Amino acid sequence: MDVGEFVRLRLSQSMISKLPNLFMGYIRGLKRPLIESAFAIFVGLIVGALIMIIFRHDPIEGYISMLKGYGIFIAKRTFMTREFMFALAFATPYMLTALTFAVGVRAGLFNIGAEGQLYIGAAAASWMAAHVALPSGFHVFAVTVFAMLAGALWAVLPALLKIWKGVHEVISTIMLNWMAFYLVMYLAIYHLRGIWAHITKEALPTARYPVLAGSLTAVIFIALLVCIGVYIFLWRMHPGYELRLVGDNPDAARYAGMSISRAIFLSFIIGGLVAGLAGASLAVRPEKWGFHATLGDLMGYGFAGIGVALVGRNHPIGIIPAAIFFGGLAHSGRFMEFDIRISSELVGAIQGVIIIAMALPGLLALIRRKAK
Amino acid sequence: MDNEGVAKTTAIAIVIIIIAAAVIGAYVATRPPVKPPAVFKIAVVSDIGGRGDLSFNDMAFKGGDDAERDFGVEMKEIISMVEADYVPNLRTAALDPDVKLIVGVGFLLTHALIEVAKEFPDKNFVGIDTFTKWVDPQPNLLDVVYEEHKGSALVGALGGLLAAYYDKPYIGGVFGIEIPVLWKFEIGYKWGCDWAMGWIENNKPEMKRGIYNTPRDKRVLYDYTGTFSDITKGYLTAVPMYEKGAVAVYNIAGPLGLGINSAVKDIATRDRLKAGPPFWIGVDANQDWINPGFVIASMMKRVDYGVYYATKLVLENKFREAVAEYGNEIVLGIGTTVLGIPMEGISVSTLADLDEFIKMGVKAEELTGEPVLPGPPEWIKEKVAEMRDNQPAWIWGAVAELESKIRTGAVEVPLAVTENAVKEWRAILG
Repeated sequence: MDVGEFVRLRLSQSMISKLPNLFMGYIRGLKRPLIESAFAIFVGLIVGALIMIIFRHDPIEGYISMLKGYGIFIAKRTFMTREFMFALAFATPYMLTALTFAVGVRAGLFNIGAEGQLYIGAAAASWMAAHVALPSGFHVFAVTVFAMLAGALWAVLPALLKIWKGVHEVISTIMLNWMAFYLVMYLAIYHLRGIWAHITKEALPTARYPVLAGSLTAVIFIALLVCIGVYIFLWRMHPGYELRLVGDNPDAARYAGMSISRAIFLSFIIGGLVAGLAGASLAVRPEKWGFHATLGDLMGYGFAGIGVALVGRNHPIGIIPAAIFFGGLAHSGRFMEFDIRISSELVGAIQGVIIIAMALPGLLALIRRKAK
Repeated sequence: MDNEGVAKTTAIAIVIIIIAAAVIGAYVATRPPVKPPAVFKIAVVSDIGGRGDLSFNDMAFKGGDDAERDFGVEMKEIISMVEADYVPNLRTAALDPDVKLIVGVGFLLTHALIEVAKEFPDKNFVGIDTFTKWVDPQPNLLDVVYEEHKGSALVGALGGLLAAYYDKPYIGGVFGIEIPVLWKFEIGYKWGCDWAMGWIENNKPEMKRGIYNTPRDKRVLYDYTGTFSDITKGYLTAVPMYEKGAVAVYNIAGPLGLGINSAVKDIATRDRLKAGPPFWIGVDANQDWINPGFVIASMMKRVDYGVYYATKLVLENKFREAVAEYGNEIVLGIGTTVLGIPMEGISVSTLADLDEFIKMGVKAEELTGEPVLPGPPEWIKEKVAEMRDNQPAWIWGAVAELESKIRTGAVEVPLAVTENAVKEWRAILG
């Protein structure tokens, strides 16, 4: 046989013949969660519709308005890219804080520290972006890395408390979230402010992420890369495999001679890095290129990330569509309120029902995991 | 779970879904036809808090309601839950082709308004209390600000005259966070009290007692509490002021007025009083109804007029002209005009305008399902009228005199917005 034939044969044997199997296996693995999620969202929408009917609103109109949050304008028969970009702007920090929670779950932790780590990351990013002059190009990079390291630093504390003293991460991270809240508020008012007392100083032009549209900046590409990177780390690299095994079966992991402490530490650090990045994404973006000293621009993203992670089944890739789903939902409320005068509280209730329904399969899976 | 169980659960789920779908289907089939939309719409984007705050946001929505009634426009409203909502909320309103005017309520919306005004150059934007003209002025964006110093001077004079009449040595003021806007209130209030002393000297020499004999720079007890939300601090700050003999305490810290009110209530219970003194003085909205008989008056900042007049300007195609003419900012106050049209926004509360604020309380009761008003509307009105009648007419007359002098420009209330100006005035008035 000649060389060409040989290559063809080898290729068909190795890649091409295996590819369909690999692909089908992946699809088969996805089938069950997809069906479950589809059913869950359906139930959520039905209950949401019932709420709207009870309060004398038209559910069809309500959901048509809700779709506007995803850029889908049915009445005009158009797709508004700009609106979708706004949904993506909300999705970016969701993606990252969800990753914090998901990496925790994979290591058997219930890490709800993303909220505080995000604040710290935002403060670090704001300081580096507005108060330090660096050459353009390098400045953006420095802001990003500094925010991530700051987030990770805030995650070191609960990690060490857990490893050394066995302090449960739920307790320590909640406490650290509040410490971060007041610390960052103090920093914002007294050290990060610019001309206006209520907003941190705006980021220097050299430190700004390129704007794609509205509040959406190129930081979304970093977020997507981070999701893929964490996926590769967890499923294609040895320390990632160890981390997952510690989460799945700590006894087996210990028996196999793996360091549980190292896996836990790693999980916290990765979580802190990505939460810090989420903080940077919120602190360095239009229209202020800073954040309000009330922290209203930052609040809630860390906790919302838990829901996003559950909907995305704590999978770094599953989190991406889940975050976009949440981002659209976050953007859609104002349209429902504006178009059909649903009160904002009711919008929150309807969205809450849909989110709970969607998170339920993931939550049950989590409980099953814990029960095992 | 065995297979039978799964089948059962699935069956139940399917039945529930079918029923729900049927209910929704029936509802949709019978829904009323859609109303034809009004041609001209305005949109009000609130600050955090939204409806039911009985103050800033409610006043803005009231302005929209009044514009609906008088001009036949339609008002759309969006509540901001967090600061991150400002821009998307303003954009949502601007996306509606029928919306011609978008109002952002509160100075926190400054940057968001600039951003969205740039994106929608054909739409008109208004910010209440915003400072966009100092950040990045836009030809389609107008700041609406108020002459709080003049209103504060009027209630300062009222307080000073009451203190003389009741032979009390002081008046008081509970302030929020020390920001330049509040200096306007502080110096205006002290100046008003000082003006009242001059008035007594010239017109009522027999009233040269109480506060008149207090040194000029000690007459106003005041304290910056550093908060706009901690009601307890309002109470703790007001109590010693009343103990020292303040006849009235001016609330310049939003909800802290409720703390001042508690301090007054304590004294009223202890001394079995049916009406003041002691009094307190309301701010922004007409707060006279909160504790009828004990709130002598309120310094009203008519946020509702801001929304109303902005709508009027847009309807009469004068909006852009006003933006250009007045350097992106119109001032509503006492005797102010915009393009020749009288547009005021500051006044001392009267009995006549109590009604619309009682209505606001009634609406808040409907929204929250909790009692807001201290009693039936008729009872409130009677008590407030009685309290006002029990004060001598010359006091009200003197306050009216000051107002007309401010209006004609016979006197000028100092406007202190810089640290140096405040220092200078504090050196004179304390």
